[in-house]
Amino acid sequence: MKKRVTLTFPRQVVQMPVTYRLAKDFNVAANIIRAQVAPNQVGKLVVELSGDIDQLEAALDWLGQQGIEIGLTSREITIDEESCVHCGLCTGVCPTQALTLDKHTWLLNFARSRCIVCEQCIPTCPVVAISTQF
Amino acid sequence: MPLRTVAEINEKIDRGQVTVWTVAELKQRVGEWGIRRCAETVDVVTTGTYEPMEASAAVLNIGQTDPPLKIRQAWLDGVPAYAGFGAADLMIGASQPTEAEDQERGGGHVIEALVDGRAVALRAVGYQTDCYPRASLETTLTRETVNQFYLYNPRNLYQNFIVGVNGGERTLYTYLGPLLPQLGNAVYASPGALAPLMNDPDLTWVGIGTRIFLGGGEGYIAWEGTQHFPLQKRLENRTPVGPAATVALIGDARSMGRPWVRGCYFKHYGPSLMLGVGVPFPVVDETVIAACAVRDEEVVAPVMDFAIPRRVRPSFGLVTYAQLKSGRITVDGRPVRTAPLASLHLSLKVAETLRDWIAAGRFRLTEPVAALPRDRTFLAQDVVG
Ligand code: SF4
Ligand code: SF4
Repeated sequence: MKKRVTLTFPRQVVQMPVTYRLAKDFNVAANIIRAQVAPNQVGKLVVELSGDIDQLEAALDWLGQQGIEIGLTSREITIDEESCVHCGLCTGVCPTQALTLDKHTWLLNFARSRCIVCEQCIPTCPVVAISTQF
Repeated sequence: MPLRTVAEINEKIDRGQVTVWTVAELKQRVGEWGIRRCAETVDVVTTGTYEPMEASAAVLNIGQTDPPLKIRQAWLDGVPAYAGFGAADLMIGASQPTEAEDQERGGGHVIEALVDGRAVALRAVGYQTDCYPRASLETTLTRETVNQFYLYNPRNLYQNFIVGVNGGERTLYTYLGPLLPQLGNAVYASPGALAPLMNDPDLTWVGIGTRIFLGGGEGYIAWEGTQHFPLQKRLENRTPVGPAATVALIGDARSMGRPWVRGCYFKHYGPSLMLGVGVPFPVVDETVIAACAVRDEEVVAPVMDFAIPRRVRPSFGLVTYAQLKSGRITVDGRPVRTAPLASLHLSLKVAETLRDWIAAGRFRLTEPVAALPRDRTFLAQDVVG
């Protein structure tokens, strides 16, 4: 199971070898997607955590206890309802079927829980209705 | 056997006694009711589509300035407009890209902005003649401040279209959107049995002068469309097996609005315009109902491999729109997921809106003033020399 999160580090924890502890204590691999960490400042890390679902949960709990703020909404796909014309083009490139068309109304349906934020759908949308939010 | 005339239908519309169904409602009920009972009950059947139609354009007469200007070159929000006719006339095509290199915009977006009532920047350079001395003009335009603003679309409403796939090894960026390699997806662009001209395969009830729903306002069929090809091969039910008839449309853009006119952009292909178009069919006799009863199981489109960049692309054969809409087709023995490009949701909504207009007495039907050509051959441009 994979989860993308944004970790915000308070000053005092910035020095901690977080990815090492995640791997050693929880068997969770942390793939750093983006990092903004300067010594003695608040740091921000966008990571993709992968591991067993229970251990992932435990790892997130532990991170919380260290005073690290966890944004599960690190990067989320947002569909602008006002802009979407329900053409369905994005449904053909979505690898997880998070984007589907309702077979009755033909409205676009977005199952957020299935989305892996691969962003394939973003450049596909002809009316720029899909974006990512941090 | 004639059941009613267009004039009689219009009298019913005026009296508020007309019975109108969308073509989706008709297709659903005709199995149970039968053609005869439907034909006796229903006066008008409405159809609609909502899809990218890049062969669309807006004509503007900006109104003459003082001192007057004869426009030589013009840009609307950075998108070149054509000025080679009247001094203050401009035409902007939906698929014209902007000259700003970092923007994924084009004529379709300018048309959308004007239709929505937003301001658009005009930059124009004049010829500076004795009668038109002005050298240039920079101003902003809105739909209220230009003298005239209408859509004139040389080709809309494809009777049927193709299905695009990619048998190659890299993603292709096409007018059907991205086609993923190794048959990763299939894109179809027509709403199938809902498409207006699929329900009048021989162009019997539409013609030049037919009043239609265009972009949320009223429009008319002006002419045959470019690439009009009525002689396309047809099934026994007369629906074509690929792109066939097209029409040119015209309508006052000031009466149009969201969501029916939307600029769009296909990555690495270019800009276009998404447009809602609806056509009403007067039920003058039972044959209208028989034609409108056609179902997605009974209309087909060819699956074309875009990996071969030729005019005649190899085809993987025909699939039905029922298969396409199920989300999966079989190509070359492999399951391929499908996605539409026409908005089936808004296609249904166009037909419903037109139905409601007619039922409310705000839209009357017309009889065509001339027929569209039914036997026009297609000349390709074969480069000589
Ligand atoms: S491609 Fe864009 S407009 Fe089309 S259904 Fe997806 S989000 Fe909506
Ligand atoms: S980001 Fe990827 S998984 Fe999520 S909806 Fe878009 S295409 Fe599907």
